[in-house]
Amino acid sequence: MSEQLTLYLHKVSPFSQKIQLALAEANAPYRAYQVNLRNKPEWFTSKLNPVGQVPVLTYGGPNVNPEDPSSLSAKIVESNVILEFLADLYPNSGLLPKDPVLRAKVRFFIDATMKHVEGTYLAFVQGNESFDNVLKAIEFIQELLEEGRNFAVGDHYTIADACISPHLARLKIVTETDIGNFPAGMGYRLGEELEGPRFAKFKKYAQRMLDRPGFQQTHDEEAIIGYFKRRFTNRIQ
Amino acid sequence: MSEQLTLYLHEISPFSQKVELALVEANAPPYKVYRVDLRNKSEWFTSKVNPVGQVPVVTYGGPNTEPDNPSPLSAKIAESNVILEFLADLYPDSGLLPKNPILRAKVRFFINAITKHIEGTYFSFLRGNESLDNALNAIEFIQELLEEGSDFAIGDHYTIADACISPHLARLKIVTETDIGNFPVGMGYKLGEELKGPKFAKFKKYAQGMLDRPSLKQIYDEEIVIEYFKSIFTDRVQ
Repeated sequence: MSEQLTLYLHKVSPFSQKIQLALAEANAPYRAYQVNLRNKPEWFTSKLNPVGQVPVLTYGGPNVNPEDPSSLSAKIVESNVILEFLADLYPNSGLLPKDPVLRAKVRFFIDATMKHVEGTYLAFVQGNESFDNVLKAIEFIQELLEEGRNFAVGDHYTIADACISPHLARLKIVTETDIGNFPAGMGYRLGEELEGPRFAKFKKYAQRMLDRPGFQQTHDEEAIIGYFKRRFTNRIQ
Repeated sequence: MSEQLTLYLHEISPFSQKVELALVEANAPPYKVYRVDLRNKSEWFTSKVNPVGQVPVVTYGGPNTEPDNPSPLSAKIAESNVILEFLADLYPDSGLLPKNPILRAKVRFFINAITKHIEGTYFSFLRGNESLDNALNAIEFIQELLEEGSDFAIGDHYTIADACISPHLARLKIVTETDIGNFPVGMGYKLGEELKGPKFAKFKKYAQGMLDRPSLKQIYDEEIVIEYFKSIFTDRVQ
């Protein structure tokens, strides 16, 4: 009998979605609970995550109501830590390859996603980074993608793909709607650059990730657009 | 017959030392070490080993060549925390990572906290871009994660969590004893005084334990790092 697994998430959070994607890939049964981030329940901060953020995964302990988490379950936070945990729980899911050199490539890809996408690209969307630097950041990621491969590393969906995919969807929104705190038009411009030959490999990979059924099932484009419109109201000039 | 392993490093780099510590503590089979001249980088280093030009880098496998003639057949692995995980995979019985998934998650959360709070907040404090209070809060966050009554960060064995933080602990000691840094004059000494207080007793005990380990003494030269710090921290904020 396997241990209970509960994922506390929010549908607009790319970090939460990483976990949903990995769980879907591993075919792992779990409970999902959406946390009201604007009106956080007291039990969330006191029993699950003092930092008050999603995603949080609880593992083991008695099978309780998600709103009444048991002190006996393990609480795991930080999306990339949770991804590795799932790869450990499901060692035959392909979430991580078996070969140490390939595993290192997956981790290097995730490290690059943190630096260049969650760092540079998100800073650009917040109005704090130049257009040129964003292109360089995306190019760094593109260099890691192997030609003619369906996945970021190796020939199976890994936590590298789960890690970047939510950001790829939001990048698409930014290039199609121009929503962001960068100067007006920079989002459209980014989209144009990414349509060009220089980024063909990246675009092909991104589209493949967004077309996956596991992705479509967990993606609420309207909710994200609504959230972005509320969040990015301070364009720099 | 095990594969060749070569570590490209520099003795002033805490990131290089994380990897060296893990190799020593894991009792790894023989490996080569090559010191890269960071101020005068050889062309073969950036073209054949790491285009980003940074240490540490590990090459693994391929023919047994001289370190300054790396083979295209070897795997090249960069980023200190990626290398730490790689070593834990290569040496699964070394204890570098526990076997239990929950404990492994704790090790990784600890490493994540080091990235945010030490390599983030505390480094910013050294550069004069962060308050002493925030640096202390950062160290407190780390302290909260330390296993109670254990010599090690997580569980009862030396893991990559300990390897990850130890080089930073050694340099923290220098800062509190010499006041070298770009923070306002005296803030280094003040940090040291705070860390001696009861609030940070658990952290201090853990740090001292890490600094006393033979592995650190084997690979770490405090004088060289002090000289290096003097050369880079020349712009105090007022």
